[in-house]
Parts: sequence; structure tokens; C-alpha cells
Amino acid sequence: MTTLATPPEESVDAPARTVASAAPRRRRRRAGRVTAAGPLTYLLLALTTLVSVFPLYWTMVAGSHTNAEIAATPPPFLPDADLFTNIGRAMEEAPIGLAIVNSVVVAGCITVGTVLCCTLAGFAFAKLRFRGNGVLLGLVIGTMMVPTQLAIIPLFILIAELQWVDHLQAVVLPTLVSAFGVFFMRQFLTQALPDELLEAGRVDGASTWRIFWSIVVPVARPAMAVLAMLTFLTAWNDFFWPIIALTTNNPTVQVALAGLGGGYVPDRAVIMAGTLVGTLPVLVVFVVLGKQIVGGIMQGAVKG
Amino acid sequence: MATVTFEQATRIYPRADRPAVDTLDLAIGDGELLVLVGPSGCGKSTSLRMLAGLEEVDAGSIRIGDRDVTDSPPKDRDIAMVFQNYALYPHMTVAENMGFALRIAGVGKADIGRRVAEAARILDLEPYLARRPKALSGGQRQRVAMGRAIVRQPQVFLMDEPLSNLDAKLRVQTRTQIAALQRRLVVTTVYVTHDQVEAMTMGDRVAVLKDGVLQQCDAPGTLYDRPANTFVAGFIGSPAMNVVTGPGVDGGVRLGGAVLPVPRERLARASAGSGRITVGFRPEAVDLRAGDGVPVVVDVVEQLGSDACLYATLGAADDGDVLHTADLVVRTEPRSAPAVGEPVTLRVREDHLHVFDPVTQLRVD
Repeated sequence: MTTLATPPEESVDAPARTVASAAPRRRRRRAGRVTAAGPLTYLLLALTTLVSVFPLYWTMVAGSHTNAEIAATPPPFLPDADLFTNIGRAMEEAPIGLAIVNSVVVAGCITVGTVLCCTLAGFAFAKLRFRGNGVLLGLVIGTMMVPTQLAIIPLFILIAELQWVDHLQAVVLPTLVSAFGVFFMRQFLTQALPDELLEAGRVDGASTWRIFWSIVVPVARPAMAVLAMLTFLTAWNDFFWPIIALTTNNPTVQVALAGLGGGYVPDRAVIMAGTLVGTLPVLVVFVVLGKQIVGGIMQGAVKG
Repeated sequence: MATVTFEQATRIYPRADRPAVDTLDLAIGDGELLVLVGPSGCGKSTSLRMLAGLEEVDAGSIRIGDRDVTDSPPKDRDIAMVFQNYALYPHMTVAENMGFALRIAGVGKADIGRRVAEAARILDLEPYLARRPKALSGGQRQRVAMGRAIVRQPQVFLMDEPLSNLDAKLRVQTRTQIAALQRRLVVTTVYVTHDQVEAMTMGDRVAVLKDGVLQQCDAPGTLYDRPANTFVAGFIGSPAMNVVTGPGVDGGVRLGGAVLPVPRERLARASAGSGRITVGFRPEAVDLRAGDGVPVVVDVVEQLGSDACLYATLGAADDGDVLHTADLVVRTEPRSAPAVGEPVTLRVREDHLHVFDPVTQLRVD
């Protein structure tokens, strides 16, 4: 972390101190010492936090008022008592409970599948010697350049033939592995996993599979947590493919929310209440996985 | 315990123009500590990795005991390796690191605990068994790496520059401990280092490599007293041996206008082809101010306390003189050392003169 302002050093001599106190406070650092953050840092951080939290807060405020109250000028800035009423109406209008369960299943499966497959592939590309390694990696990365929209029609024809329309596997299977994830894990493992660790494993008698589970996965955990979080969020928020593959009878959260507050005048209070309910699981994931993203696990493996 | 045999073992890296290890023939005795030493890129680590099964063998074979392990994977070779960077598993505790190989081998928990505790006792690691590697000092990590090898009770220990990441004082201390431990466990050990002092102090025998080719494999004393060629002569010993080439004349080799006496039969054999002769002498095998001798001028005097090192150039260089080393180095009494710029004469003790063929660079006896 950088600091923006610290008091002048004691070692500054008297005339210099006069100058220093007259001039605006300058940033000073001492090698090897963590300096305290100044007021400007706190102000900037507080502003950033406010900007980040406000949409969530507004969702809660709007979800706890009636539609008319939200439209008033000035709009309300404090939560009201109608939150649970609005959540109840949202649940009646769309199967939000089922949608949350579906989304948890879909996003959970996609996350587990992606993290597992991408770590396996990333390990292979980063550390295993095999013919065609470079070409294959190039092909995998190349698929990132193909727009999703291009694949939608053939994909729909495929799942229709398999009679998977409105089934969750139609949303899960096409996204079980991602080129970005493979590339991300490969880059991480290339740098974070020393060859000596794998060789030590081989000399210790471990098979490649055992090395993967006992050595690679623990080392890759920070990157896996980041990939899991990104994948879960993307899967949870995905709208385009689920709205095509699923119906409101068996929706994910985003598909269900799309069906809320319909009519000539959209009922924003109900939409906001439903959105709030649909956002909570994502917040839980953030809180749980955020702790996993701790660097320094590699410290001490090899002498740096 | 077992013997280790390299037979014409060769490793050629893809797209390399010469082998990293070239037809290596080496037999290591049961319970012996053999040190592979040489400058960077000489193939010593590659040889060790070939023995470990981490590097392919392109030609020849490697045997551990009676078993041909040339194509066996590392896990089937019954070896344990200590890596230069220790390669400890960062997410495991010291005890888990040491017991990992046994766990894979399906050894019972009680047995693993007993063997880990025994190794920890030998290496003074008992207080640290529950710690992770990042909470250990460099010396402790090195000992954990040793412990991981010991608990396996393998047939052969392989050590790849295990002391190079320690500070100078700890390195001296640890090398004594490793040598003592090896003698106590009596396990065949192949030890790789680029430090010739480490090699000389630790090895039962020392194998010197250069450009992938084995130059000489002998006991440290033999290596020092009877180097097989000019490379070994210059590599072993600090300061290095003085190696000089000059025209062979009657009774010796002419050097700086004077004649350095060489026994007649060695002179004849060494200068047979070219009429020139290469001689070497250790810095401590020289008498200063001995009247008639090779005249030199002192450039630098290094006072080391117990003795002094003089760096000198030939006083009156002949056209034919070729110094293989930058300067002539002489080790002498610190109190009677001549001053910088002072012309002195050198006389090499005859029984300490090494004679080499100037063409093949091989020793002539």
C-alpha cells in the first residue's frame, strides 16, 4: 500500500523544518518501514467504498418502498418497512426460490468444472513436456477470439436435438471449461510452481496424478480461488444464453428477474426486492472466497 | 546401500551441438561419498539428474547395484535427492514434508511417525516439526531437505549443490555435518558442487568434469598431488597451480631467461612433438630468493595472516613463454614477503614440479 502523507522526519534540521512546515506535506518513505495512511488516503478510500456500496444500498432502499414513493422527488434515501412485502410479491410473480436454487446449481457446477478442468489443463500446458504443447495452447487461446453470439444458433440446434431445452444441463455443459481459465492457470503455475517441487515429488515416488492433487492444487489455490470467484459471478450473472435455453418455468435468477414487474408501468419496487434476493448468494461467495485469496503460500518453498 | 555405475552414459539436449554429458564412465563404491565437481555447464548436475531419472539417457547405461535403471522412472530407483533450492512442499509442515515419500509408499502411520522423529532427532529438527517451511531459516530448511532424504532410507543419496544457498559460515559448518552424517549412515552418496574446497573436504573421491567429459576421478590428495591434466591442475587448489609453457632446453624448460630444471626422461617425453614443454607448480612449492632461479617482479602482495600470496610477472619474458594463468602466484611467509615492485627469483622444488604435454595437456610422469 502506498501512503500519501506522513509527518516530516525528526532528523530534518531546523531551517529545513521551517521550509517543510510552510510547504504542503510531502510524501516520505523509509526503507523497510510501513508508514501510516494519511487523511487523503482515508477520504479517497471512503469515497470509493461509498460509490461501490451505493447501488446495493439503493436496491435495498428502493425494494423497501412502494413504486410511487420511489418515483417521488426527492427520492427516499432511507429503507422503509415494505421490504418483506415486496419480496413476497416478487416471489409470487416469479419462481425466485427455484431460480436461486437453479442458479446455485448452475453456477456451482460451472465453477467446479471450470476450476478443475482449467487447473488440469493449465498444469499440463505449464509444466508437462509433450509434443504440440505450444500449438495446442495457441488453439485454446484462439477460441477466445470467437464471439459467443456466433455459436448461439448451432448450440441451440444441438441442445434442441438432445431435447435439453429448459433443462439445466443445457446451461451448464457448454461452459464447463473456459479458454481464459486455462490461460490464467497456465500463467500462474508457470511462475508460481517451481520445477524442483515437481521433481521432488517424482523422486519421492508420486505419480503425475498424485503430484497434481498433493502438490499442484495446494500451490494453485490462490489462483483457483480467483478463477472460482470470477467464474461464479459470470455464471450467476449470465443472461444471454440462459434466456434462450431456459424458460420462466425453470429459470435461473437472471431469467426470473427479467420476468418481474411486468405490465404497462414496471413495478420497480418488486424488481428491486427480487434483485436484492438474487444478489445475496453472490455476496456470500465473495465473503467466503475473498479469504482464500491470500498470497504468500509459496513463500519458503524454494529459497528466493 | 548399493554401488552406482555409469557406463558410457551420454545426454544430448535437443538442438544442442555437443553432449551435456559425454560417454561418462564412473563406478561409485558401496557407501562411498563421491563428489562431482567442475565449472558451470560442465555437466555435473546433468549427470546427477540422469542418475535420478529426471533426465533422459541418450546412450550408455546407468546401474544401481545390479539393476539397470537407465529407463526406470525416479520412483523405481530407490534414491533420495536434496535439491539446491530445497524444494520443500510449502503447504506441508516439516513432519509432513519428511513423511510424504513414506505416505506415498504406503508405510503405516506409526512407522512414518517413528522414522520422522528419528530423522528429526539426528538433524536437531524436533522443535520445528509442526512448522511450515516459510517459518524456517535457510539452514533449517536445508536440514529438512536432508531429513526428507534420510527418512526414505534409500540406496543412494543425491545432493545437488545443497549448500550453495547458505552463508559462508553456515556452509562450512553444514558441510562437516553432512560428511559426518554420510559416514554414520554409510549410504552411497553422489554430491554435486562447483566449489572445489567443498569437493576436497567432503569427498572420498572427487570426479572433475569439464564440457561434459570426465577429466579425473581420484581421492582428494591424489587429485591435488597428481592432476591428470592442466585443467585439473588449474581447477583444484586455491590459489590455482601456476601453469607455464616454454621451450624445452637441455636440462629443463626455459622461462623468463632462466632454466627451470626438469628431469631428463620427463623432459624427453613431454617435448617430443613440439620441442616445447608445459610445467606446473603449486604456489607453496616455490622457494624465493634462492640465488639462481626464474626472475620475476612482484605486482601485488596479499597478506592473509597465516601466509602471504605474491602475484608476480616474469622479469624478462622470452618470446616463447606462455603463461596459462594471469600471474604467477607464490605463497610465502607473511613476515619475509618481498615488497611490491621488488625483483626476486623463484626456484621450484623439483619433486613438486608437474610436467604436461603442451599438445595433449596430459600429465607426463
